[in-house]
Amino acid sequence: MNQNKKPRALYIHVPFCRSICFYCDFCHRFYQEKEADEWLLALRREISHYRLNTDLKTVYIGGGTPTALSGRQLDSLLSLLDPYTKNVLEYTIEINPETLDEQKAAILTAHGINRASIGLQTADGELLQKIGRHHTTADVTETVRLLKEHGIDNISLDLMYSLPDQTMESLRESIRFALSLQPKHLSLYSLTVEENTVFGRKGVTPLDEETEADMYEEICRVLPEAGYRQYEISNFALPGYESRHNLVYWHYEDFYGLSAGASGMEDHCRYDKPAGLSEYLQDPLRRDLIPLPQEDEMFETVMMGLRLKDGISLSVFQERFGMTFEEAFSGTAEKLLGEGKLLIKDGYLKCADAYYHLLNSVLSDLLPV
Amino acid sequence: MDQKYIRNFCIIAHIDHGKSTLADRILEMTDTVKERDMKTQLLDDMELERERGITIKLNAVQLSYHAKDGHEYLFNLIDTPGHVDFSYEVSRSLAACEGAILVVDSTQGVQAQTLANTYLALDNDLEIIPVINKVDMNNSQPDVTIREIEDIIGLDCSEAPLISARTGLNVDQVLEQVVTHIPAPQGDKNAPLQALVFDSFYDPYRGVIALVRVREGSLKVGDKIRFMATGAEYEVLETGIRNPREVRVDGLSAGDVGWFAASIKSIKHVRVGDTVTSVAKPASEPLAGYRRMNPMVYCGLYPSDAARYEDLHDALDKLQLNDASLQYEPETSQALGFGFRCGFLGLLHMDVIQERLEREYNLDLICTAPSVIYHVYLSDGSMMAIDNPAKMPDASRIDHVEEPYVKASIMVPDSYIGAVMDLCQNKRGIYQNMEVIDAGRNMIIYELPLSEIIYDFFDRLKSCSKGYASLDYELVGYRKEDLVRMDILLNGEQVDALSVIVHRSNAYKRGSGITIRLKELIPKQQFEIPVQAAVGGKVIARTNIKSLRKNVLAKCYGGDISRKKKLLEKQKEGKKRMKEVGSVVIPQEAFMSVLSREDEPK
Repeated sequence: MNQNKKPRALYIHVPFCRSICFYCDFCHRFYQEKEADEWLLALRREISHYRLNTDLKTVYIGGGTPTALSGRQLDSLLSLLDPYTKNVLEYTIEINPETLDEQKAAILTAHGINRASIGLQTADGELLQKIGRHHTTADVTETVRLLKEHGIDNISLDLMYSLPDQTMESLRESIRFALSLQPKHLSLYSLTVEENTVFGRKGVTPLDEETEADMYEEICRVLPEAGYRQYEISNFALPGYESRHNLVYWHYEDFYGLSAGASGMEDHCRYDKPAGLSEYLQDPLRRDLIPLPQEDEMFETVMMGLRLKDGISLSVFQERFGMTFEEAFSGTAEKLLGEGKLLIKDGYLKCADAYYHLLNSVLSDLLPV
Repeated sequence: MDQKYIRNFCIIAHIDHGKSTLADRILEMTDTVKERDMKTQLLDDMELERERGITIKLNAVQLSYHAKDGHEYLFNLIDTPGHVDFSYEVSRSLAACEGAILVVDSTQGVQAQTLANTYLALDNDLEIIPVINKVDMNNSQPDVTIREIEDIIGLDCSEAPLISARTGLNVDQVLEQVVTHIPAPQGDKNAPLQALVFDSFYDPYRGVIALVRVREGSLKVGDKIRFMATGAEYEVLETGIRNPREVRVDGLSAGDVGWFAASIKSIKHVRVGDTVTSVAKPASEPLAGYRRMNPMVYCGLYPSDAARYEDLHDALDKLQLNDASLQYEPETSQALGFGFRCGFLGLLHMDVIQERLEREYNLDLICTAPSVIYHVYLSDGSMMAIDNPAKMPDASRIDHVEEPYVKASIMVPDSYIGAVMDLCQNKRGIYQNMEVIDAGRNMIIYELPLSEIIYDFFDRLKSCSKGYASLDYELVGYRKEDLVRMDILLNGEQVDALSVIVHRSNAYKRGSGITIRLKELIPKQQFEIPVQAAVGGKVIARTNIKSLRKNVLAKCYGGDISRKKKLLEKQKEGKKRMKEVGSVVIPQEAFMSVLSREDEPK
C-alpha cells in the first residue's frame, strides 16, 4: 500500500495489570514477567509482519496498564516502535499512578513519549478503594511531578463520576484536586457497569439518572470556567491540547490496532484482534475483519463526529462519500435539522447544544431502519 | 351397530386433575391408536392447547372395546373444554352423552370445577363414574378423596377405580365400568331426525363440519337437513366418525356420534347446541338447552404496524371460521389508529386468541385492557350497551349505569378464608353464603362485578390462598352501580385507548395507581410529560414523567464502534414495539396498565 494511504495513527493495547479495577472490562491479565516477555515476542512478529507506516503522527499505548511492565520490558516495547515514531507529533502512554518510578519515567522520555494519561478516577480515598484502585492522591501528585521532571508536561487526567455512593461534593473535590495539578487535558467518564466486570458480577448500579445528569452538568460548567474547553462529550482541554490521537477516532480516520484486545480500521475494514491473551500469543497476526459498506461508514462517521463540539466537516463528508449528508440521510436529516436537533454552521454539522447530552436519541433517529 | 353395544361418554375434571392423560390411556388401551401415532394428549389438537395443558376445542373419538362379557362395544369419547370460559360448550358436549367419568386428583381432592362439572353432568341426567386418579403419587390420599366425593357430591364411591392415568394402572377397570354402568343410548331410528350439534370446525375444502349426536331418527348422505335455530338448510354430502382420524360412514342414526359435511360456508349457521332435523320429515320440537353464546369480555386489538391492518383482518376472519364465539368489528382509536373491537367468552379465550394471532399469523399486536359490557341508560330512557370505555357518553346524558355481576363459588381451606374474603371485599364483592362442606373445607359464595373478575382475580385468588382456593362462576345479571368513565391524559392529550370505567368510590385510588404505573412504563422523553387521570373533565390524579436529561455514551473510541453501534440499534429496536401517540412514545404494556391499582402493587 502507498505509504500516504497507510494509517498515521497507532494504538497498542498492553494487556497486563498489577491489580484489577472493579469497573474495567478491557482486556487485562495479572502481570507475570514470563508471560509479558512472550507477549513482547508476539508483538515483535505482529509489527514486522504488518509493515507499519514509518511516518506515524500519533501513537497511543493503552491498556491494561502499560507501566505494569518492568523497566526492561517497557524499554523493549518502545524500542520496537522507535523506527515508526521519528515524526510522531503526539505519543501518549497510559499510566497508573502507583506503577511509575524514576527509571520508567526516564525510559519514556528517552523514546520520545510526550504525553501521559493518568488514571486519577477520584480524589476520594474511600471511593478509590470501593472501585478497586490502590493508589492515593499523593501517588498521583508524585507521578505528575516525576513526569514533569522528565519533561513530559502534556498530561491528561481521567476522572469518573456516578460511582456508587459518590456525592456531588466528592466529585467537586476531585475536580478541584485535578485542577490543582494543572493538567493540559481532562477526561470525565460516567460509570458504565459492564457484565464482565467485578461490578457487573456484584450487581452494582451507577447512581440514579438525575444525580448523574446533575454531575455531568456540574462538570460541563466548572471545567470551562477553569479554561478547559469541552471539545467532546467526555473530554476537555486547554486550547491546543485536544488529543490528536483520539481525534483520529472521532474523525473516523484509519488507525492501526495492535495486540490482544485492540481494534483497528484500515481501508474500509475494521478488525478486531483476539480478545484473550492466550489466543493472541498463539496467533499474533490474526485479525478478524469486518468489512464496512459505505452505508455503515456514513452512519459511523456521523456517530463519531457528532461527539465533537465542532461536529463534522460537511465538505470532508461529501468528498469522502460522493454525496452530501442530506443525501446520505434523506428524510431523517431534514427532520432532525427541522426540529433543531442538528444544525449546520460554517460548513459543519453539529448537534444542537440542547441535544448534545441526548446524542443517542438523535443517532437512533439517524440509524437506518 | 345395535344400540345396546354403544356407549357415549365424556370425562370431566377440575383443571390438571388428569382428564387428557386418562383420555390418552383409553385411546391406547382400546387399540385405536398405535403408540407411535401418539403425541401425548391426543385429543388436544392445537399446539397452544398442549402447551397450556388445557383443552379448548371439543373433539369426539370413536373407539372399539372388547369387554370382559365377550362383546365388542363401540365407545364414543367426547372431550370437553377444561375452563370456566367454555362452560356452555361443556354443557352441550355433556348433553351428547349418557355418562361421564369424573376424574378427581387424589392429591388435591374435590375442587370447585369438580363440583361445577358434576352438577352440569347431573343436570344432563348423566350416569357418573367417579375415578380416583394419581394414586401412584407420594402425597396421594385416596381415602380422603373418596370421603370428599361421597360427602360433598353424594356419589357412591364404593366401586370407584383407584387409577394412575399416567402409568395406566387400573384404567382397565374404568373401561369395564363404562360398559356396565353407563346406559346404552335410546332413540328411534325411524323417528323424525333430531341431532344435537356439540361442536364444529372449518375445513378449507369442505366447509364447516358439524359434530353431532343423533338423538332420534337418522342422517345420511343426500338428506336435506335444517338447523332449527338458524333455519339454514343444506344437503348432506358426507357423514363420518373420527377414530381420531376422519372415517366416512354411510349414515348416522339414533345413538351415534359423528360428523357431517354439507358444503356449509359460514360457521354462523352451525351453532353449538342447535338441533339438526330433516327437511322432508322435520321434528316438531328442537332438543332442549340451546342458547346463543354471547361474548363476556371485549378488548381492542390493533396492529403495532398500521400497515398490517388488513393482515389482522384476514387473521381474525380465519380464526372465526373455527370459532363462532369470537366476535369482532372494526374500530378506530385516535391513539392507536385502525383496529378491531373483539368479543370473547372470557379472559382465557381472549389470551388464546391474542396468542394465536401473534404466533400463527406473526402479528405484533397492541391490546387494550379488557372491558365488560356496561348497560348505560340515558336520560331519554334508551339503553346503550358499551363495550369500549371510550364510547361511554357524557355524564350529563346518563341516567344510570349497570354492570354485569357473576356468582362466584370459591372452594377454600379454613386457613385462607380470611384472605379470600378480603380479596372479594376489595373487589366490591357482595357476600352471599358460606358452607362448611367438609372437615377444613368451605364453599364461599360471593356476587362480584365481572369487571373485577376479568382483571386479575384468579391470579390473586391463587396467590392469597397459596394455590389452594378454586373458583367457578356464572353470570347472574346486571346491577346498577355508580360507575364513571376515567380518562387518561398524556402531555395534555386524552388517549382514548387508556380510558377505563371505574366505580366512583375507587376512582381516586385507581387514578393514582394508573398514573404511577404509566410513569414507570413510559420511557423518559426529551420533554417532561404530565400524566393525568380525569373524571368528567376534572383531574383527580397527576404525576410527571421527568424529561430525559442525559442519553449519550460516556466513552466511544476506535475499538468501541461496533459494540456502541449495537447499543444504539438495540435502543432503536425497542422503540419499534412502541406506539407514537401525539408527541409521546408509549410501550405496548402501558395499554394494559389501567388494570393496575395503587393498593395492589404489580
